[in-house]
Amino acid sequence: MSDERGVDARLADRIRAGRTDALGELYDRYASVALGTALRVVKDREEAEDVVHDAFVAVWRKIDRFDSERGSLRSWLMTVVRNRAIDRIRGRRPLMGLDDADERSLLRTGPNPTWEAALERASAAQVQSAMASLPDEQRQAVELVYFQGYTYREVAELTGVPPGTATGRLRLALSKLRSALSEPAVERSPTGVTTFLGEELRR
Amino acid sequence: MNCTTIDELAAAYVLGGVDADEERSISAHLETCDQPHAEVRDLIGAGSVLAAGAEPVRPSSQLRERLMATVAATPQDHRPILEQAPANEPTAETQTSIPWWRRVASPMAVAAVALAAAIGLGVWNVSLGQQIAERDEALRAIAGADVVHQVVGSAGSGLLLDDGGTAIFVAEELADLPSGSLYELWLIGSDGVPVAVGTAADAGGVTLVTLEQGIGDATTFAITVETERVAAPTGDPVLVASLEG
Repeated sequence: MSDERGVDARLADRIRAGRTDALGELYDRYASVALGTALRVVKDREEAEDVVHDAFVAVWRKIDRFDSERGSLRSWLMTVVRNRAIDRIRGRRPLMGLDDADERSLLRTGPNPTWEAALERASAAQVQSAMASLPDEQRQAVELVYFQGYTYREVAELTGVPPGTATGRLRLALSKLRSALSEPAVERSPTGVTTFLGEELRR
Repeated sequence: MNCTTIDELAAAYVLGGVDADEERSISAHLETCDQPHAEVRDLIGAGSVLAAGAEPVRPSSQLRERLMATVAATPQDHRPILEQAPANEPTAETQTSIPWWRRVASPMAVAAVALAAAIGLGVWNVSLGQQIAERDEALRAIAGADVVHQVVGSAGSGLLLDDGGTAIFVAEELADLPSGSLYELWLIGSDGVPVAVGTAADAGGVTLVTLEQGIGDATTFAITVETERVAAPTGDPVLVASLEG
């Protein structure tokens, strides 16, 4: 477990024990990043702060579902922020309440050493640069899904391509982002397993 | 949904770009399938990297205070407390448009506050007791109190002492106030209207304030941070106590 994840795991333990000061520390670590993400989605400062507020309250309430062995607290928090921001601009998805979405999103937050290493190393500017290097149609697909809340089927309709093409663009985009953000310290790997071993061996 | 389909949807799934039914199907499959599904697992966590591409924005100073006040009055799901709200009752996180003094009087919030106080009170009493021993006024108040209410929140913790006529708030080492600010004390009745009952300017050491009126029929005691004495709270509470029960 990386240093950052270790710190977060200890924070999660304290939050689970009902320590409000630990939630305050989590806020101090990630509020600016969370607000940046929320603002990018909802485009309104006051609404973005409401999103961040609600996301941290959700983490407080649901911390017992989080398992630091199975995921990253930061990734989960950011997914909760994104869920709530998207909810504001798109309305709730049918059959999927926010509570349900928060818990299911735990499965999508790791652990994954490749992305975690990128998170610890890459600045916002580097991520932006990696995004800018994508072909337009791939960048557009990622933007529509992650920051505007469309499903891949909706992206397919909006861009006039078959659903399989939309999912393919997303897959290629993430693959290229991973490569761009993994260099030079992290080896490229088709599975992530050798990347993780490479990281461990360097320690 | 079969393994091939799931791998094809991997990127859309990890970015939250599948519909609700597909998300449930994929999640259920991944939890039970004995195949490695490297395509999915390799992409898990990608969303947080995309989020990291957004420029960080410093939140307003009020946001942290508002969050901590909400958290102090919000139970954690794994800690069942005295009373659970009905499933369809809005939770504190969905009530941001409702003034806190109306929210805080809900049974769930009050129960949460009582629980939080019960957890933290043991250690706190020891150090407070030592300092209070040096303050005759506090001693008299404690000795004469018929009822003691626990007051907790993001600014620390304290006690509201009530002898049936006079009420005194006492606390040790409250959080430092921003420059030019003061603590303002409020009593809130069942009508939900906060009534100002005093201020405290100095957060250092022991804070002791005699309320300007008795508790009477009030159901909630709260403290906010204000830049001057005001007629109605301008922000969320930093300390709260239930006066019921």
